[in-house]
Amino acid sequence: MVKNLPVVPTAKAGSLVDTPTGITWRIQYPEILENCNMCLDCTLFCPDGAIVQQEGKLVLNLSLCKGCGICANECKENAIQMIPEYSGVQGVFR
Amino acid sequence: MALSIADLPKEELFGQGHAGCGGCGAAVAGRQAMKALGSRTIITIPASCMATMGGSNLKTTWQIPFYHTLFEIAPAVSSGIRAALDAQGIEDVNVVSWAGDAGTADIGFQALTGAAERNEHMMHVCYDNEMYMNTGGQTGSQTPMFAKTSNMSKGKMIKKKNMLAIMEAHEIDYVASASIAYPLDLIAKFKKAAEKPGFSYIHILAPCHRGWQIPAEKTIEFARLAVESGLFELYEVDEGKRTRTVEPIFIPVQDYLLPQGRFKNLTQEAIQGIQAGVNRHYGRGE
Repeated sequence: MVKNLPVVPTAKAGSLVDTPTGITWRIQYPEILENCNMCLDCTLFCPDGAIVQQEGKLVLNLSLCKGCGICANECKENAIQMIPEYSGVQGVFR
Repeated sequence: MALSIADLPKEELFGQGHAGCGGCGAAVAGRQAMKALGSRTIITIPASCMATMGGSNLKTTWQIPFYHTLFEIAPAVSSGIRAALDAQGIEDVNVVSWAGDAGTADIGFQALTGAAERNEHMMHVCYDNEMYMNTGGQTGSQTPMFAKTSNMSKGKMIKKKNMLAIMEAHEIDYVASASIAYPLDLIAKFKKAAEKPGFSYIHILAPCHRGWQIPAEKTIEFARLAVESGLFELYEVDEGKRTRTVEPIFIPVQDYLLPQGRFKNLTQEAIQGIQAGVNRHYGRGE
C-alpha cells in the first residue's frame, strides 16, 4: 500500500548561519590581542562558533558573536578583551 | 593517545547562529561533542532548550540530520533509526539521542531505561543544567539540594538523583560523566562511546547562567569549579571498569556554591554538610 505522506517543510542544513539569532543582543564584542599564543581554548569554549581557526590563525566572526564574554574570561593569556558595543548617546551598532 | 585542539576537525556541525542565549552551556556541550562525533551522525532531541536552539522548521543550525522527537521517546526513536540503518546495511553512522535532565532522568526515563536494557547500538547524552530551563527553571530530579528554582523559592529539600549510578546499574557498555570545562576529556569520552557496539551513556554538566544566576561569561568557570570542588566527579565506567579521568584539587565547596544566585540562602550548616558529604563519598566505587 502506498501512502501519500504529507510534504513537510525541511530546513536546509546549517541555514541559520546566514541569518544568525541574537547578534542584536550583543552589548560588547571581543577583540583578540597580539599576545595570543594560539592555545585554541576559545575555539572550544565559544558557544556560538564565532572564533574558529583558519589557516593557522584565529578568525573572529562578529556576525555570529552574541558577546557573552566567555572567551575573554577563559583566556589564560588575557589575550581577548571585551569592548562595549555602543558609543555615544545614539549608539553605533557594528 | 593525547588529543590536541589543533588536530580536531575544523568543520562546525552545530552551533553557528543557534537560537540559544549568549553564553549557553548546552551549546558549548553540543559543539564539543560534534567535534568528536563527526558528520556521519544522526541526532534525536526531545523537547528541551537544545531542540529550540537547533532552529524552527525552516531554519536549522545543525549540519547533520536532526530529529525533534516528542518528550518521552528520544532513545526509542534512536533505537528505531538504528534498526532502519541496520536493515539497509549502513554501519558507519553514530546514532545519538541528546536530552536535557528532564528528558533523561524524569520524563524520558522509561524510554532510556528500555533502550539501555535492550543494549541498543546507540549513545544517549544528558546535558545536565540541573533545572527545567526551557520552561522557566522548575525543579527536577537533577536539581541539587538547597537550590532555589522558580517553583521552589525556599530551595529544594531533597537530594539530586544519581543518574550515572542508575545507568551504571544497567550494565551497559560505557557510562561517563563529562564537563564542558574539560573539552579534551569530553571529546575523548565521546570518541570512546562511539566505538562501542552497545549502549553508552554520557552525562555532561552544562551550567545555565540564567537558572544558576551567574554572569554569562562565568558559565565555563562554574562548570570547572563544580569538578574542582569535588561535587561533580569526572569518571568513566568502561565495560565495568571504573576510572576517574580528572583528579580535582578540592577547593572548598562554598567557593563554588555561594557565588551562585540560586544558593544564596545557604546556611553554614548546609555548607558544612555538603563539604562533609564530598569528603565522605568521594571516590566511592573504587
